[in-house]
Amino acid sequence: MSSQPDPIQAGLERGWKVLGGPHGALPASISCDVAIVGSGAGAGITADLLSAAGLSVVLIEEGPLRSSRDFNQIEAEAYPTLYQDSANRQTADKAISILQGRCVGGSTTVNWTSSFRTPSDTLQYWRERFELPGLTDDALSPWFLQAEQRLSIGPWLVPPNANNDRLRLGAARLGISAAAIPRNVKACWNLGSCGMGCPVNAKQSMLVTTIPAALDRGATLLVQTRAERLEIDGEAVRAVVCVPVAINGGVSGPGTTRVQARHIVVAGGAVNSPALLLRSKAPDPHDRLGRRTFLHPVVASTAIFAEPIEGWQGAPQTIYSDHFLGVAPIDGPIGYKLEAPPLHPVQSSISLAGFGADMTRAMKDFPRTQAVLALLRDGFHEQSPGGRVALRSDGSPLLDYPLTDFIFEGARRALLSMAEIQFAAGALSVTPMHEMAAPTHSWAEARQAIGALPMKRYLTRVLSAHVMGGCGMAGRPELGVTQPDGRHWQLKNLSIHDGSLFPTSIGANPQLSIYGLVNMLASGLARELGGKSVALA
Amino acid sequence: MKRRTLLAVGLGAGTLLALAGGTLALLRPGLSGGRLTPAGREVFAAVARAVLDGLLPADEVAREQAVQAHLARLDATIAGMPPALQAEIDELATLLASAPGRLALTGLSSAWPQAGVAEVQAMLQRLRTSSLSLRQQVYHALRNLTNGAYFADASTWPAIGYPGPRPV
Repeated sequence: MSSQPDPIQAGLERGWKVLGGPHGALPASISCDVAIVGSGAGAGITADLLSAAGLSVVLIEEGPLRSSRDFNQIEAEAYPTLYQDSANRQTADKAISILQGRCVGGSTTVNWTSSFRTPSDTLQYWRERFELPGLTDDALSPWFLQAEQRLSIGPWLVPPNANNDRLRLGAARLGISAAAIPRNVKACWNLGSCGMGCPVNAKQSMLVTTIPAALDRGATLLVQTRAERLEIDGEAVRAVVCVPVAINGGVSGPGTTRVQARHIVVAGGAVNSPALLLRSKAPDPHDRLGRRTFLHPVVASTAIFAEPIEGWQGAPQTIYSDHFLGVAPIDGPIGYKLEAPPLHPVQSSISLAGFGADMTRAMKDFPRTQAVLALLRDGFHEQSPGGRVALRSDGSPLLDYPLTDFIFEGARRALLSMAEIQFAAGALSVTPMHEMAAPTHSWAEARQAIGALPMKRYLTRVLSAHVMGGCGMAGRPELGVTQPDGRHWQLKNLSIHDGSLFPTSIGANPQLSIYGLVNMLASGLARELGGKSVALA
Repeated sequence: MKRRTLLAVGLGAGTLLALAGGTLALLRPGLSGGRLTPAGREVFAAVARAVLDGLLPADEVAREQAVQAHLARLDATIAGMPPALQAEIDELATLLASAPGRLALTGLSSAWPQAGVAEVQAMLQRLRTSSLSLRQQVYHALRNLTNGAYFADASTWPAIGYPGPRPV
């Protein structure tokens, strides 16, 4: 257990209104000005601004409230409590594994702190293809700036860990541009366990920033409470109907809680937000709901070095390269962003291929293992329409995301780029994350081997840590689910404030894109509903 | 109990049931109350001996103890999953625990307790490179569950040079 001060426990002792799970039984009904579904990036920013405008707010979070005293850097405890589906969320055909948060703070509690503004060319694409003329760099800049100030987003001046440094070194030797990743941290201990929750409250997640601010202003937080459906009456949403759930997501008791509100903000994250609207039978006259869900499909390459890498240690993600996002037009062959992932035993043993002698060898080399990943920028080409959220028979979401040849063509290029960089950095051997790949011992050998790999689902290991889209924003109802002000095109008092708004993927880790865009949308909503101008920072 | 989720992917449910030679309701369940049944444990014990071969202790008694401890962690891992995923694992374990299901899905001719490490490894390799989605899914499910539960435990870390959490 962390011996650091725990601001969440202190808040609970001060009398924060938190119900659900161990915090007290849920009432049959609650009334408020605004009900917010979720407590992640979009929900946190929204709760902060609306509560500052004097509105009464209820946050509804499916996961538990966990805080620094619980964050003990152990995967087996973090995954079942802090992640969707116990970190076993997968696409319908099980070809892509998805890491997504499910706890107070959402993915911001467990992300790796990478903080990028929405790339200019992504915004340009949205303006041109989705009729969103207001989304310019200049218009968004002040909203990003406020989020950066509030969440201590800035350059990370500590040297990268060895895992990230090999990406830097290999890229430099090949003349490929790479740079440092801005992070949302304050007095970071450089532990490396960001993905299991920050034990020292250095990461400026929603858990330790906006949510405590809203709770201090009297907001109510319902935890271990699932928003089951919206009660829709014509063009209005009357209430959110909720059920209590156990840590594993199973319904934990009889009865429901009806949260009645003037306005509803859905911010449960991509996949979950469209699923809630689907369960609620929200109007969808143009068949847009749940469609165009994007994942930044990730392929990865591991390398063995002579020297220790210890990829579990130090800030997990500090170096990136956007070189391969810029080699073709944004709507051409798929581009990719290169980064390094943290390496811990459970996730790494699952990601490394093979069993028996092969896996034993790979795991014995674990301390000398280095990894690079490529985030494929999906959603900018007609052959990259993303996936579609549907519902299982029990109402839980299921994302159907076909991995097309268009994606795999890029995946092969990405495996080649990563292997070349790893050999340039001095790797003894490089193994692409692919079921038929063997360790290669030179760039020439790797180039030939990767060129011959069958690029197919299940054989090529594909992951995702970024879910986006499904309630896309657009200037016309034919093109999306939400209006440019974040309101649903058909339901008047419903807003969507999370990554499901994005009309394409971002082409960068999405947290700051959510903070910036939602900061703008929620500030507008605070003015309309509360009659007050408020600011995040 | 919903038993259609896994079956709905890849092969059609009807095809697989025909292959399995009966209805699932007649088979021994692989999971009961969120825990592996004795039949389910036989499946995952044989898979663990094959997947973790080289990592498990060489001594036979110590190895069996490690496998039993692993199965207990696997129960805990499964219990942490949402009902829809538990239902899929139940379905998988139930099918694999039955002789017709095992033969149809994996081609493994020996019963699980009698199957040798090399035999199970050969079976896993066939699934891994199969042209049938369902078989590839079974491979990844068995391996992911096994590794996820095994490396969750601190006792397995010294062998791979992982020091565990840092004091804060």
